[in-house]
Amino acid sequence: MKGRRDREEKRKKKYSTGSNILYVFRHLRRKEGTGAIFLCGGDTVLSILLPFLETALAGAVTACLVSGRPPGEILLLMAGYVALLQTVRFLYGYAKELRQKVLFLMRVDTGMDFFGKTLRMDGQSLESARGQQKWNAAMRNIYSGNSQGIEAYIQNLCDTFLNLGGLIVYSVIVGRFSLILLLFLLGMTFVSSYLHARAGKRAYAMEEEIEKNWRSFQYLRRESILAGNGKDIRMYRMDRWFLNCFRNRIERICALIDRQQTGYMAAGMAENLISFGRNVIVYGWLIREMAAGNVSLPAFLLYVGVVAGFGSWLNGMTEGWQRMMENERLMDGYRDFMDFGTVEEGKPGPDRPGSVHEIRLEHVSFRYEGNGEDTIRDLNLTVRPGEKLALVGLNGAGKTTLIKLLCGLYRPTAGQIYLDGRDMADLSQKEIFREFAVVFQDVFAFSFSLADNVSCQGEVYASGERLRDSLEKAGLWERVQELPEKEKTAMNKDLDEAGVSLSGGELQKLMLARALYKDAPMVILDEPTAALDPIAESEMYGKYDEMIQGKTAVFISHRLSSTRFCDRILFMENGRIIQEGSHRELMEKGGAYAELFALQARYYQENNKEGVSYA
Amino acid sequence: MRRLISMHRVGFRLLKMIHAEDSLMIPMRLLELCLSLAQIYAGLFLTAGLVDLLVREDYGAAAGRALLLLGTELVFALARRLLGRRFRSRNTKLWLLFYVWLRRKAFSMDYETMEKPEVSEKIMFSERTSDMYGGLGVLLEQYSNMLHAILNMCFSVFLVAYLCLAEPRGEFGVWSILAGPVPSALLFAAILAGMCLGAWKVFVKYAAKQQEIFSSHTGMENKLGYFINQVFGNAGVGKVIRIYDMGDMLLENTSREMEKFRSFYGRMCDVSMRQRCADRLVSGFFTLGAYLLTALKVVTGAVTVGAFTQYAGALNQFGSACLTLISGNGELKKICSYMEEFLAFLDMENKHAAGTVPVEKRDDGEYELAFENVSFCYPGSQKAVLRNVNCRLRIRGKLAVVGHNGAGKTTFIKLLCRLYEPTEGRITLNGVDIRKYNEEEYRSLFGVVFQDFKLFAFPVWENITAGGERQDERIWEALRQADAKELVEGMEKKLDTWLYRNVEEGVEISGGEAQKLALARALYKDAPVVILDEPTAALDPKAEAEIYARFNEMVEGRTSIYISHRMSSCRFCDDIIVFEDGRIAERGSHEALFAAGGRYAEMWNAQAKYYSAEEEVNR
Repeated sequence: MKGRRDREEKRKKKYSTGSNILYVFRHLRRKEGTGAIFLCGGDTVLSILLPFLETALAGAVTACLVSGRPPGEILLLMAGYVALLQTVRFLYGYAKELRQKVLFLMRVDTGMDFFGKTLRMDGQSLESARGQQKWNAAMRNIYSGNSQGIEAYIQNLCDTFLNLGGLIVYSVIVGRFSLILLLFLLGMTFVSSYLHARAGKRAYAMEEEIEKNWRSFQYLRRESILAGNGKDIRMYRMDRWFLNCFRNRIERICALIDRQQTGYMAAGMAENLISFGRNVIVYGWLIREMAAGNVSLPAFLLYVGVVAGFGSWLNGMTEGWQRMMENERLMDGYRDFMDFGTVEEGKPGPDRPGSVHEIRLEHVSFRYEGNGEDTIRDLNLTVRPGEKLALVGLNGAGKTTLIKLLCGLYRPTAGQIYLDGRDMADLSQKEIFREFAVVFQDVFAFSFSLADNVSCQGEVYASGERLRDSLEKAGLWERVQELPEKEKTAMNKDLDEAGVSLSGGELQKLMLARALYKDAPMVILDEPTAALDPIAESEMYGKYDEMIQGKTAVFISHRLSSTRFCDRILFMENGRIIQEGSHRELMEKGGAYAELFALQARYYQENNKEGVSYA
Repeated sequence: MRRLISMHRVGFRLLKMIHAEDSLMIPMRLLELCLSLAQIYAGLFLTAGLVDLLVREDYGAAAGRALLLLGTELVFALARRLLGRRFRSRNTKLWLLFYVWLRRKAFSMDYETMEKPEVSEKIMFSERTSDMYGGLGVLLEQYSNMLHAILNMCFSVFLVAYLCLAEPRGEFGVWSILAGPVPSALLFAAILAGMCLGAWKVFVKYAAKQQEIFSSHTGMENKLGYFINQVFGNAGVGKVIRIYDMGDMLLENTSREMEKFRSFYGRMCDVSMRQRCADRLVSGFFTLGAYLLTALKVVTGAVTVGAFTQYAGALNQFGSACLTLISGNGELKKICSYMEEFLAFLDMENKHAAGTVPVEKRDDGEYELAFENVSFCYPGSQKAVLRNVNCRLRIRGKLAVVGHNGAGKTTFIKLLCRLYEPTEGRITLNGVDIRKYNEEEYRSLFGVVFQDFKLFAFPVWENITAGGERQDERIWEALRQADAKELVEGMEKKLDTWLYRNVEEGVEISGGEAQKLALARALYKDAPVVILDEPTAALDPKAEAEIYARFNEMVEGRTSIYISHRMSSCRFCDDIIVFEDGRIAERGSHEALFAAGGRYAEMWNAQAKYYSAEEEVNR
């Protein structure tokens, strides 16, 4: 099913070349103004004019020199001509660089569109494998340097046009001299273009394998020097392994490039032979015409130059077109991402925002895209307002997926989720999120200021009081006072040299402060204390306990001990809730939960000799 | 001037390294360079002859000359194609070797030195700059361009001298006087001096700006990379951004940085654009002068009309060679400035001697390790992480190490593994200071699972053997002990399954699964000392219990050290060390420490309170 869809997508191109051209020009005008379009046009005119003037130079100079005028006049004429040529060359260079600059800046600016779109995207779609693929494809359109992607696409487009223009101009010149010569030239150039294109196609077929080895090289390159990895590399003497792999990849990449180049060489040599044959014929013909008095010396020089230039226009055009087609795939990827569905606006928010809500799951199933089976299976659950709920179970039981469903990050594949009796699918996602404070498993800070990380609202965060209050409650205020710029201190060193890195425990507190600052009625904590020592862990539990007073809370933890301050414990297995009840109830009932608890508790029970002897 | 010499000293050293790696590369470049020069001048001469013959209306000879011109062109073109076939791959190889050399050195360096931020920053800077500017391949190309330019200048000077010396024929008044050998030589000298002066001024004017842009370029790219990879491209952070409605804050921060990128890149373009415009202006005037000088010679009859192209071409060659020389030097300066960092890194000495004494091979595993008055501060920090630690590890003993986050547990292990050396005191193996042993042999004594262990995108078996010899039976045994046998058996290609999807279409594994594989890797090493640092942090209670249950079997006959925040693990160790603020606060068996009611008992109770109270409920 999926394979077929992919194949169909490949076969049917989503965006035509024409629409892509229109798109990039609109995009360019929006980003850099109408002037940018004129710049591209002006550059094209100059690019045709310059080679023509250069070709005509030899003829013009000779004509001048053999004209028999007085020396002063000749020199003046020459000076005028060369000065004109140099002026055009100067302008040509300037226009070309200006065009490059404008396109480059456009590419930098395009990043903002792209990032903005990433933020507006629906989280679930973006997170999915297909979403990530699309994101990456779009990213490559902007951030693959200036020889690939949107910038290169416009450059290629301009190149194609200007070479086409040059070809037309030269065709007119040659055609006015002799139509037969023109046809002959066109034929010859097509043959060499064909040879070139064929070599290019063969080389392109090898590109995939080069890319694979290249990816592997880059991966090893990064990993082999990443801070922290050095320990394992030294303890397991992985250096030889890695160096071998490096050598290996280099050998393979170079061998493939050699094969590609051999193809290009053969095509190139054939082209050289063809152009030799062509030149012999053209020179021979022109000299015969000269002998017959039909062609003057300056005209001879001009035609010789035009013939030589003729091939390069056509080659330039086919190459520009070819490159453009290669980059069009990146353009398609980018537009595909930018057209990806976003969160629908205009839906109402939940009733009574800011108060504790009831969440009801009815026959909810959830399957990750591309997965063979459901992660959550036909699950029914009601989270009552103000309830403290614990979610336990083995790795892979579906706990994290369930909380993502609860807070509206994921939409169920089947079944409904109701917030205070209203289907969540009908409510605005953004407004639902407002009701939740979630502390996720992955603990990290963005490399912005500490205040931004807590308030999440940028410069205009509500009030310093609130910030201070949440930092104090999280037990981080004192540490913040020690920082060089207090709460304005940047985290990490990615964006600010003077940034500070917090320790694992401090980050944990930062996440808590963020949740406290938000002060949402629904709190979800996903295994938040795994890396803490027993005392710090116990302290964190105390803080969480304080935070969730008067709120609805859902808590995931591997330490079953921590579930004890919860009203109700849900035991999950294979995407279902197989047991629920209070700790006492579950222990009395026996079964999965009680077994798991006993497994952990065994070592802590002083008199349980079995526990000790088990080890 | 001194700066220039030291720069080329760096360049020449790199050329030597290139030559040592690939002895054909430089000769091939030289041959290519000769061919290119020969092609240029043959073209100039033959075209001049052809035009002269056509002016003389000697068409038969002209046809012969045209054939010769085209034939020569063909021969040169074919020869260069043949030679150029392997340039691309060789250049790529050089470019990539740079990274390999860097790593070869990095692997041989002290862990301590490699972990220093300033060292890794230097490496990253060289690397990213080489990424952007092309590295060793470009260096070689620039040098060959410069040599090309110098030879080109020699030839063209010869031709230009010839042009200047040509005596005018016929009477053209003041023009004839100007076209005389001495005046025309002076004219040429004036034109040349003007160009050199102009080009030099341009170079000097922009050198500082280019340098400044060059040095901040890498930093800008790194920042942009942060946004792309860590913020917007990190699938894991999307949920946090959405739940906390961080969109506006992110865009605010991003657009602030983007403004900086834009103005930086704008300035970068402007500077090089202005520099190129100025260069073009200079060369434009030079060309104008050169053409006029040659034309003067032609109109006064000193040289033929056909020779005009030849001499004007030679003059142009001279001008462009001068510019190449100046700009090539600038490019080389850029490359050498980051290559200098690279060479400095290659020259870096290890802080600690590697040791020479071989480690005694013992089948009985009698390796006794001891800390004697060991204190340790991380380099660049004043704070002691370990203070006066004294302990002897019992042979084949099971030691648990517990304590606060940051109490020094992991540092203790790192010192034991000789990743760092004690600031004070010493660590001994069978009574001998471990620094005296051969480093590799010493490390072969340990099978370690670090807290932040790392598996790599390779097949499972290569990860378990760490690239060593493949012995399937032993691999499966290690997997079984680490409770990972079922995991691997469930994979499509078993031991040949690739991990992760970075390189091949492999399998993604969870943190818990990775932990088990890392454990199998440590067991496969079959080392006399096994160290496990938080080996069950990512495991669920059941998997944790499995590992606990197998622990005895795993470490049988070996000395083992177990670090964990889960106090339960202390129950199956016979010896416990409690770290506090870098000191050993308590040591003894669980029963003894628990009874003592100290730090250990406090930590134990913090976790056990939930469980032990439960007993009452149970009963």
